Amino acid sequence: MNENSKATVKVENVTKKFGDFVAVSDLSFEIKPGRVFGFLGPNGAGKTTTIRMIVGILLPDEGKIEVLGSDSPVKVQNKIGYLPEERGLYKKMKIEDQLRYFAALKGINGSEADRRIDYWLEKMGLLQWKKKKTTDLSKGMAQKIQFISAVLHDPELLILDEPFSGLDPINVEFLIEVVSELKQQNKTIIFSTHLMETAERLCDDILLINKSRKVISGTLREVKSSFSKNLVALRIVGGDGILSDKELVAEVKDHADEKEVVLANGVDAQVLLKKLIESGARILKFECVEPSLRDVFIEKIGGEN
Amino acid sequence: MTLSKIFAVIKHEYKKIVLKWSFLIGTFLVPLLGLVFTFIPMLLFLIKGETLRLVIVDPTEKIKPRLEKALSEKSTNSKKKELEPKLNTLETQKELPEEASNTDVVFVDYSIAEKSAEQIRRELNAMITDGKIDAYLIVPEDPLDPSASYEFYSRKAEDFIVNSRLKGALERAIRAERLSKTKISEEELEFLNSEVKLSVKKLDKQGSEEESGQGFWIGFVIAILIYMILSVYGQTILSAVVEEKETRIAEILFSSAKPFELMIGKLIGVGLAGLTQLGIWLISASVILIFSLPYLALVGFKLISPSVLILFFVYFTLGFFTYASIFALIGSMVTSVQEGGQFSFLPVMIMLASFYLCFLVLRDPSSEISFWISIAPFSAPMAMPVVLALEKPPIWQITLSIFVNVLAVVGIVWLASRVYRVGMLMYGKRATIPEVWRWIKES
Repeated sequence: MNENSKATVKVENVTKKFGDFVAVSDLSFEIKPGRVFGFLGPNGAGKTTTIRMIVGILLPDEGKIEVLGSDSPVKVQNKIGYLPEERGLYKKMKIEDQLRYFAALKGINGSEADRRIDYWLEKMGLLQWKKKKTTDLSKGMAQKIQFISAVLHDPELLILDEPFSGLDPINVEFLIEVVSELKQQNKTIIFSTHLMETAERLCDDILLINKSRKVISGTLREVKSSFSKNLVALRIVGGDGILSDKELVAEVKDHADEKEVVLANGVDAQVLLKKLIESGARILKFECVEPSLRDVFIEKIGGEN
Repeated sequence: MTLSKIFAVIKHEYKKIVLKWSFLIGTFLVPLLGLVFTFIPMLLFLIKGETLRLVIVDPTEKIKPRLEKALSEKSTNSKKKELEPKLNTLETQKELPEEASNTDVVFVDYSIAEKSAEQIRRELNAMITDGKIDAYLIVPEDPLDPSASYEFYSRKAEDFIVNSRLKGALERAIRAERLSKTKISEEELEFLNSEVKLSVKKLDKQGSEEESGQGFWIGFVIAILIYMILSVYGQTILSAVVEEKETRIAEILFSSAKPFELMIGKLIGVGLAGLTQLGIWLISASVILIFSLPYLALVGFKLISPSVLILFFVYFTLGFFTYASIFALIGSMVTSVQEGGQFSFLPVMIMLASFYLCFLVLRDPSSEISFWISIAPFSAPMAMPVVLALEKPPIWQITLSIFVNVLAVVGIVWLASRVYRVGMLMYGKRATIPEVWRWIKES
């Protein structure tokens, strides 16, 4: 068995068109088992279409998709959990009945389904809502029920499309914790979001797409290091002459009590530090800042759009 | 195709309908209401009205005795008739207003000696106002003149039962008076006035005769039942599909099972709920019929054979899949129930047209047009049960009809499933016909 065949998801040169509109073009990537895979990109980049192909709702026009060792995702649907971005529940049906139905469609029936429904409702703190209807729930509760429907059948591959939209910060933290637990159980998780801060906290690997094409992919570290700019966070007294030297510094942004310095191309932060000390400036803080995913996102996508 | 998934969908859809109050109410209350609405008017006509105190002003003294006789005769006659069993409802209803009225008429004497027409009217009006009488009838000077006008003044002129009874009695009295001018005895007069009894017998192709009438009603009821259940459950499918699309549950469902499995499971589940309802109705009707069998056998009523009953269910199933698939297709195209309502105009019209075509079949089930109606898709599921209730069509005709309709169902389900798989994931806007056509060709 070579390295490639172990991938939980393998997308190879996949293209999908709707009429004249190209939603995904020549996209290739791999998701390794047990990893949290951040699938990022602006609205309309082709994320949902790609996810729908991985889940088996859509078929690619060209290319190949392999999921959990099968070249037809439909055959392994029972091992995939999917929380779509556009989601809902039956309005006038009891929570337990809905969950039972979703479980049955994934091949979990009878007392086993009941046991898991109770387990998850209790975990989410929603056990007392079991016999209530959707219309009785708040939006956040409904979101949690939808989350349960995606994990109820203990899937090997969990796909979460914007799982936190519309949730309050406390519930976001709670769900992040649940996702982390699932990661520890060695589940593979595809996580699609606009929230770069959350992606940064959760993801091992990143794929950034824009306008149907791959922009960048790799581990979180690889992606960050591809960021072209060197940033230094600085709190100093004096040294103004050095900072205005165009050969050293490309840009200075003033924040509340500190400055963000973008170094000129090819300049090492050590050189700046040395020059500042030599100039007699008093240095209170000097920190080489790692770019955030947000910075990468804006740099890679912002210019193009 | 995974049967366990289809089964899960069937179970879900079936329970969703059957375990609801509206299903129980629909199943048990609707037939009950139907019975109530049929029988209450009949019962009301049988209720004895108040006594009518009537003055007959007849200057000629020729009409009055005959009218009094005709009016009193009538009530005894009708009582006798009620005791006879009547099966043909049509006949019963036609006779009701005249025959079933039990209002007693009391004739109040009033002397007209030497009074002017003006004075008579004033006095009688006063008697009505004082509550001494309820009505009076003024016979014209020349009662036999066809242009003569009889005037009836009544405190309750709205009582159409009394009015029509009076008119009938008056016509008989005048006819009798006219005939008495010729040389006809009173016995001959009775004989002339006697009613005609028309007994309609039906000859089938084998030449054996049977009592006609009941087949018509069974056929009619079957057509209405199938039409009703098809339209009610068609709408159920439509709103269930739109709900899944509107709430975006479709996407979760599509990630768990194939669109075809989901659609066919939904059709079967809802169809089984419809069959359950039809079954409850037919079984309870059979129970009622079996209890009244000795009575029905007496008047020559025959139960439909079990094989015909099975064919009813076959045609119901074919009709259900034909129309329900179209409703599912429409549901997956539109974005809201209201929009779906506008589009369901099409299947509803086809259904209604098929229902009306059943009347052609009812009139003459063995005509050429009836033959084609009972074969063609869309109309056959409603028309063939009517044909079956009325006569025995040849086996090859039934086979051909089932074959044609099974083919049609396969085609429509195939078409619907292709639209369904794409339409259910289209949010925000309604699909256009060219788009739908492209989905059918492409997917």
